[in-house]
Amino acid sequence: MSAGDFILQTRDVAAGYGGGDIISNISVDVEDGKIFTVIGPNGSGKSTFIKVLAGLLRPRVGGITIGDEQIAKLSAPERVAKGVAYVPQEYNVFANLTINENLRLSTEFLKRNRQATDEQRSRVLEMFPEVGSRLTLKAGYLSGGQRQMLAFACAMMAAPVVLLLDEPSAGLAPKFVSEIFDRIKAVNQTGLTVVMIEQNVKEALRIADNVMVLVNGSPRLFVPAAEVGSHDLHKLFLG
Amino acid sequence: MIAQYVWNGFVSGMILALPAIALTLVYGILKFPNFAFGAMMTAGAYIALVLNVNFGLSLLWSAALATIIFAMIAVVIDQTVFRQLRDRDSITLLVCSMGVSFVLENIARFIFGNAARSFDIAIARPKYLLGLKINNEQIITAIVALSAMAAIYFILRHTALGRAMRAIADNPSLAAVRGVRRENIICWTWVIAGGLTATAGVLAGMDRAIDPMLGWNYIVSTFAAAILGGLGNPVGAVVGALAVGIVEETSTLFIPPNYRQAISFLVIALLLLMRPQGLLGVATIKK
Amino acid sequence: MASYLVTILTLVAIISILGLALNLQWGLCGMVNFGLTGFFALGAYTAAIVGLSGAGTFAATLAAVVVCSLACGLVALVSLRLSEDYLAILTLGFGEVVRLVVLNEEWLTHGSLGLPGIPRPFWGLVSEDKYEYLFLGLLALVILGLFIALEMLLRSPFGRAIRAVREDDVVAATLGKNVLMLRVKVFALGGAIIGIAGSFHAFYMTYIDPSQFQMIVTAYVFMAVIAGGRGSNSGLLLGSVLLMVAIEGTRYLKDIFNVFDATQLSAIRLIMIGLGLILLLIFRPQGCLAEYSLKIKGRESKQRDIAVQTKTRAT
Repeated sequence: MSAGDFILQTRDVAAGYGGGDIISNISVDVEDGKIFTVIGPNGSGKSTFIKVLAGLLRPRVGGITIGDEQIAKLSAPERVAKGVAYVPQEYNVFANLTINENLRLSTEFLKRNRQATDEQRSRVLEMFPEVGSRLTLKAGYLSGGQRQMLAFACAMMAAPVVLLLDEPSAGLAPKFVSEIFDRIKAVNQTGLTVVMIEQNVKEALRIADNVMVLVNGSPRLFVPAAEVGSHDLHKLFLG
Repeated sequence: MIAQYVWNGFVSGMILALPAIALTLVYGILKFPNFAFGAMMTAGAYIALVLNVNFGLSLLWSAALATIIFAMIAVVIDQTVFRQLRDRDSITLLVCSMGVSFVLENIARFIFGNAARSFDIAIARPKYLLGLKINNEQIITAIVALSAMAAIYFILRHTALGRAMRAIADNPSLAAVRGVRRENIICWTWVIAGGLTATAGVLAGMDRAIDPMLGWNYIVSTFAAAILGGLGNPVGAVVGALAVGIVEETSTLFIPPNYRQAISFLVIALLLLMRPQGLLGVATIKK
Repeated sequence: MASYLVTILTLVAIISILGLALNLQWGLCGMVNFGLTGFFALGAYTAAIVGLSGAGTFAATLAAVVVCSLACGLVALVSLRLSEDYLAILTLGFGEVVRLVVLNEEWLTHGSLGLPGIPRPFWGLVSEDKYEYLFLGLLALVILGLFIALEMLLRSPFGRAIRAVREDDVVAATLGKNVLMLRVKVFALGGAIIGIAGSFHAFYMTYIDPSQFQMIVTAYVFMAVIAGGRGSNSGLLLGSVLLMVAIEGTRYLKDIFNVFDATQLSAIRLIMIGLGLILLLIFRPQGCLAEYSLKIKGRESKQRDIAVQTKTRAT
């Protein structure tokens, strides 16, 4: 694999919230157009890692690149402009804004031309029909599953090159869980790279291409999804 | 007759609505109660005074220019002072705004002294309509305030800036990952808040004498209005302001007029006891 | 010269007592009292009125203590489960109400004319010109007593409980009434201390009027507390001294800037206080004595706030 096939790369990233590093030594190469998933026990730093990628937390050390560009020093809004879209685990829509306003806001501060935005919007509404049917409803009135879809749709509005998902199935009713992972896979088929952290190992591995296991803030395993079966995950998670 | 009190209360509510909206916007977006709004009203009034009396501009032009000038000053204050404290807790910012309030009020005192001044406007005879005494200043106040409120409403509901402001107030980190640049929006928030407050100062200056303590007389009432409507809710601030204005004015039927702010205090206290989210606010667990 | 020094120290002492109250309410308990001046005025006027009625200065002090602690307790009760912001606003409002009552209820307070002839404690015990030393000594004893009492309180189970409640406001909102009543008690205790400060102020000045109780007093006390390091009582004492030095120092500016009139000079001093407060908060929030470190805790709390926001409407 040459560097040109990796859309997102990190080098020796370490980060924390001021009381010491929560994650350290993370160097990953995310293949363009593939689904990369990070799994690990609670408190392993998955959330911290994805927040670092999104720009919500500055890494203490280490580099992050999109394509050839260094983005480690960029703020979250600046990363959005570079094609990074992040869907947080909770509070991922603006409850006091309508669905339409949520969607509009996602592109209003990006320098995109009107036509490209309109086209992307049509594509997104096609992919997420439940969102398009009640644009004037305040997002706060949506159920958990519907909000997740809206959050997903908003991220897609910006026509990103990398989609960061923070535990997409968290808090969802079981019937929604497989639906959302199917949706993620569908979106990925259009060529979008997905980086996903997940607690639900089974569903995550179902759609993932590559897997990293994070335990206590450091990577313990970094393999294609097909090979995960040959490792004792249980032991890894506990160790 | 009581209708006169209600009308007078309505007009004073109009004046209150502007700093109440400013207070509530800043609270929603910057997460602290800005104590300096009183002094900012005073500053706006004095700027207009200078333009009107020293430069001979009409009150309309003085007010418009004062609004624009002070909006810029408000941004400068934010960038030099509040920006240094972005990550601190709201009480630090509150105490800091007390410092800003002192500085503004005393710059005015330094330049103009403590003597009361007034605008250079023609005295007009009050009109009588349906038995109510309506004077010119009240009509101007109502028109200006309503126009300002309509403008704010339009901005908040129908512009990208308004959406961004509401988004940041709702969830700042989500707004960041949706591409909204917080510092830009904060600057525009101060432009709006500063402009509103300066306009209110001019309106207040038409109603009473202009001295360094002008805005001080409105502080408790403004907080009462904003809390009544739910801190962070601009529409609520307007409703709250009208309610406070009318309640204060009608209370003068039973209580000496000097105690107006005491009435507002009671309103705040009762609200906090029973319904802290205000009449129109949503219950939240703060902090 | 000595007399001047004694005057300064007396003022420092009274500000320090107020500072001890603020440190207790805000430093230990996280409850910001923005109406400090108002409660101070309440204490001073209560002491003055009782003292003038002939009941003696001890009764006057006691009355001030009771009235102020009741007032503080009541105000704290109203905003018990709410965030600091609301308490700040409420105390501010209360301060304004006190100011209005003092100005308008002339039958009680003589309004802006003020109350003269307030009696002094232990007056007559020493000759008139030595009295100020006695008074200062008395104040020093009071401060020492308060200081020790507060330090003991801090180390007691009561003090630990308060600190636990303060550290996590989110938890506090869901706690049982007993624990929250601790806050009311602490705020009331602070009120008692303010009452002491108010009565000593009345005794010292022998004449009080509303102009002595402006918002600037609140600013002074906040500055002293912040400069000394919020929560630290020993820091506070140093902070008060520093503050007084700075303020009195500016009086000498009069000689340099004698082109300005009295109003302008006092405006300059007040501007400097305001700027001082701002600069302290920006550059030395830990106080002048502590090592400078960025408020990581503040940042962490903000992160937590962002995560904890529950603005979603329940369906």
